[in-house]
Amino acid sequence: MQAFLSQMPQQIVNGLTLGAVYALIALGYSMVYGILGLLNFAHGDVFMVGAFIGYGVLNVFVPDQTPLIPAVLVIVCMMAVTMLGTGIIGMAIERVAYRPLRNAPRIAPLISALGVSFFLQNAILLTQSARYRDYRTQFLISPRLGLDIGSAHLSLTRALVIVVAVLLMIALTYFVQRTRLGLAMRAVSIDREAAAMMGVDVDRVILTTFFIGSALAGAAGVLFGLVFGQIYHFMGFTAGLKGFTAAVMGGIGNIPGAMLGGLLLGLIETFAIGFISPTYKDVIAFVVLVLVLLIRPSGLLGVRAPQKV
Amino acid sequence: MNTMPLLELEAVSKRFGGLQAVKELSFSVAAGEIVSLIGPNGAGKTTVLNLITGLYRPDQGHIRFEGRDLSGLAVNAITVRGIARTFQSLRLFLNMSVIENVMAAAYPRTQAQFWQIVLRRPFFRQEEARIRQLAEQKLAFFGERLAGYRYDQPAYSLSYANRRRLELARAMATEPKLLLLDEPAAGMNPHETQEITHLIGDLRNRGQYTILIIEHDMQVIEGVSDRVIVLDYGEKIAEGSYREVVRNERVIEAYLGRKHGNTKSAAARA
Amino acid sequence: MSLEKIGQDEWVAQVEARRQKQNPVVAEITARWGRLPRVGKIILIVLIPVLLPIFVQNDYILRVGGLVWLYAVLALGLNVVVGLTGLLDLGYVAFFGVGGYGYALLSSAQFNIHLPTWVSLPLVTLFTAGVGFMLGLPTLRLQGDYLAIVTLGFGQIFVQLMTSMNRVGLPGLSAPINLTGGPNGIVALDPLHFLSLTMHSVTSYYYLLLLTLALVLVAIINLNRSRIGRAWRAIREDALAAEAMGIPTNRLRLLAFAVGAGIAGFAGCLFAAWQQSVFPGNFDVPLLITLYAMVVLGGAGSLWGMIAGAFVITVVPEVLRPGIQLLGIELQQIVFFGGILALLAIALRPRWRLFAVLGAVILSGIIVHLIAAALFPEQITGGTNLITAWLTIPVNTTTATSVGNFLFFIVVGLFVLLTQMPARWRDPVLVVALYLLAFVWQTRLSQEPSTTVLLLTGVALIMLMNYRPQGLLGQRRVEIA
Repeated sequence: MQAFLSQMPQQIVNGLTLGAVYALIALGYSMVYGILGLLNFAHGDVFMVGAFIGYGVLNVFVPDQTPLIPAVLVIVCMMAVTMLGTGIIGMAIERVAYRPLRNAPRIAPLISALGVSFFLQNAILLTQSARYRDYRTQFLISPRLGLDIGSAHLSLTRALVIVVAVLLMIALTYFVQRTRLGLAMRAVSIDREAAAMMGVDVDRVILTTFFIGSALAGAAGVLFGLVFGQIYHFMGFTAGLKGFTAAVMGGIGNIPGAMLGGLLLGLIETFAIGFISPTYKDVIAFVVLVLVLLIRPSGLLGVRAPQKV
Repeated sequence: MNTMPLLELEAVSKRFGGLQAVKELSFSVAAGEIVSLIGPNGAGKTTVLNLITGLYRPDQGHIRFEGRDLSGLAVNAITVRGIARTFQSLRLFLNMSVIENVMAAAYPRTQAQFWQIVLRRPFFRQEEARIRQLAEQKLAFFGERLAGYRYDQPAYSLSYANRRRLELARAMATEPKLLLLDEPAAGMNPHETQEITHLIGDLRNRGQYTILIIEHDMQVIEGVSDRVIVLDYGEKIAEGSYREVVRNERVIEAYLGRKHGNTKSAAARA
Repeated sequence: MSLEKIGQDEWVAQVEARRQKQNPVVAEITARWGRLPRVGKIILIVLIPVLLPIFVQNDYILRVGGLVWLYAVLALGLNVVVGLTGLLDLGYVAFFGVGGYGYALLSSAQFNIHLPTWVSLPLVTLFTAGVGFMLGLPTLRLQGDYLAIVTLGFGQIFVQLMTSMNRVGLPGLSAPINLTGGPNGIVALDPLHFLSLTMHSVTSYYYLLLLTLALVLVAIINLNRSRIGRAWRAIREDALAAEAMGIPTNRLRLLAFAVGAGIAGFAGCLFAAWQQSVFPGNFDVPLLITLYAMVVLGGAGSLWGMIAGAFVITVVPEVLRPGIQLLGIELQQIVFFGGILALLAIALRPRWRLFAVLGAVILSGIIVHLIAAALFPEQITGGTNLITAWLTIPVNTTTATSVGNFLFFIVVGLFVLLTQMPARWRDPVLVVALYLLAFVWQTRLSQEPSTTVLLLTGVALIMLMNYRPQGLLGQRRVEIA
């Protein structure tokens, strides 16, 4: 405990890094739930696929130990290709697994989502085998580079992750608040039928939402790989659950809430590892989820909607 | 002579955020009466039903049934005490058959336990037969319409009028003393409306139910009511026989607006 | 108004005719089945499973049979919670695990407790039911989706705990204790003892599980037709209205959880004793999704559908294993390609389209093979049978694997595109997709049967929800949004 307290600043840094990743995943969950009322179980697996796509790109540009092109370009490439790829995958999922079920009973899209999730996991398992893959970040960004803030060391990699995540969140907020398409998204999430009657192309808006949400998840996957190094086919499941926990903590359907929830969860989990035990870190996340749902189901920033009987 | 009212509301108030849905409402219903609750849309009528049945808790005031306070009771406990209701927008168990809908509502009056059911003990089988009989009896109130081959039809296959009737039969299966009917004639054609009017009278005479009914259709109100209570903006603005209430100026103003003024003004009521 | 019309409804009377028109195959089967005398039905349903071990002495088949009964029991239990009461419990497998581990802890060397079967079985079952009750308590207020996630979380917590509680340090103990055996689980469990019989053989477990299935089935049928079953279904239909009709929804939800959990717990005991061991991996997500696939495939609400679903999902993977030969051709090829053919036959109307597409696929295969053989004469295998000869498979297995992996994603992408394409372009794209699919099957999918099965399960779930959400034997349900 004593040792942990002295490491607190470092743990905060680590927690924020993890939280940034969770926030990006939570955003996709929140957006889709806000618009469709659907819990996209496959979202976590999109995150996982993103990590693998990034891994593939990384291997193309860093086949051995030296990058073929400047490191910055490699990272930009990884992000761009992954985000585009996962965005397209997200759109495909929407078209195939969710759109036909818009008017089906609620359980149908949930089962469909489970099916997609399962499919993605096993597709990667089939083609990539169950071996853990290593993001050899050390050949891209030297682990010695970084900043010392007090007793904490903020490595360049972690700083990069936090900065990129923040930039993406700012971009998203701008998009949602200041553009017409963002306005359309907000309208559809409040009342789909009314928005349609006002001339909004609901299908296109939903497609865009999935694209953006999935792209963010993909970005999270790459960032995760860069910082934590190891990826494997099943990591999407746990990550998805944690992303959902974060989204619920902040208030599902609520974009700033998702960001806040993600950061909080990252901090809570990191502290739990330090205070309690690293073995039970996933358990902590679920316990938090249950507690939040029981005590304040609308989340920290969420709004409780009254129901007319 | 028993003068204790069956249902009594005493200064009941309910607020939803900024909206005062019900304001210091007091009235009572005596056993065997048919009381109508009317008022323009948004007057708070369904909210009153929801308060009585326990869906909402009153912010202030008391609701008493047979002299006992209902506050804090769960919705199903209130039903067990003897109050049943129908819903303004029908809430049938659509994927269950007609007879199952009614039999399901008999639950609070039955006792078969888990193991008795799993092992098919005689008590369970006897009770099942009794429940079935009860359900058929309640459905028989509507003549042939919901009888015979209709028993096993899924509820979603019923016509609108039949659905309303089924909802009523289901409420009756809980064997209540007080029936709360929320717009039972909504969406019915004149012939069906007439039928329902007779039916409600029958419910009181043959079925011995006490009835509190929310309605918009004045024909029904005129045909059944012993007493009429008028709500507007959550407040009681008139009470009396149909004839008295229909001529009351405040009531006319609530429905139609003031003759020479521009709007129904709240100031007039202040 | 004519009173004779009441009670006579021609539209309703013509229901059978309409149903026939919609789906002639299913209608025909249902009609034939309905016409069988009771005795005939009993013979088919009861005698065949019971007499199977006598006629088929093959241990492998009996093992699969036993698994079908086990999964059917689990599916029935899950149905109580999800199908009957409408509670989306995604952590159900954890109850199975509680049963399994419960039995393991009471019948092994882990703590050197060896309770007799007639004590451990009821004890563990009741305990699991209690756990189900406890899980139900905090979730009473949760809406559908949230309930799903919370129960999923619980299921994950369970697996996590079982995996990591092999080094539990409690204050006051000098060394951490091994509670659950960690990732290596608990092994060498006592077999079941009933009276003087000890269950060792596959046949004994086959019958034990079949008996369990029969008992659970009867119990659930009885429950369904009682006030409890009606109340459960009322809660599923409209919980608020149910409450207003005097049904104590909270109590009944807890009962549903407890009953479902109890069934799973009992099944867990049997499973643990059969496998003679338990591992955390036995109770993880793949099993959960498989169970849901069974329930969904069979049709929520249809008890026989559950059993049918369990049958299909247990047997199909076995049939897809490599190495089983039938008439000189691999069984898995027959099943896979046969299945594709059947799907095409259903989807492609009129008939000539089917033959056109098939012809085109075969033709393209030949063309590709010829071109490849000309360009890379040494690098293509001759093939062991008709299909492998027709395909163009590199001799070098690593190359084959890489190409297969790459093409896998192409195939998936093509099929996704297919669903979105206008009709004109569909057939050519279908031809390409089918050919590549055959290649991917041969090089990758057939080599990893367990993963392939899971992949197919995922695809099946998606397609099922799209085309037949009510499953094989379920009824179409109406729901208000």
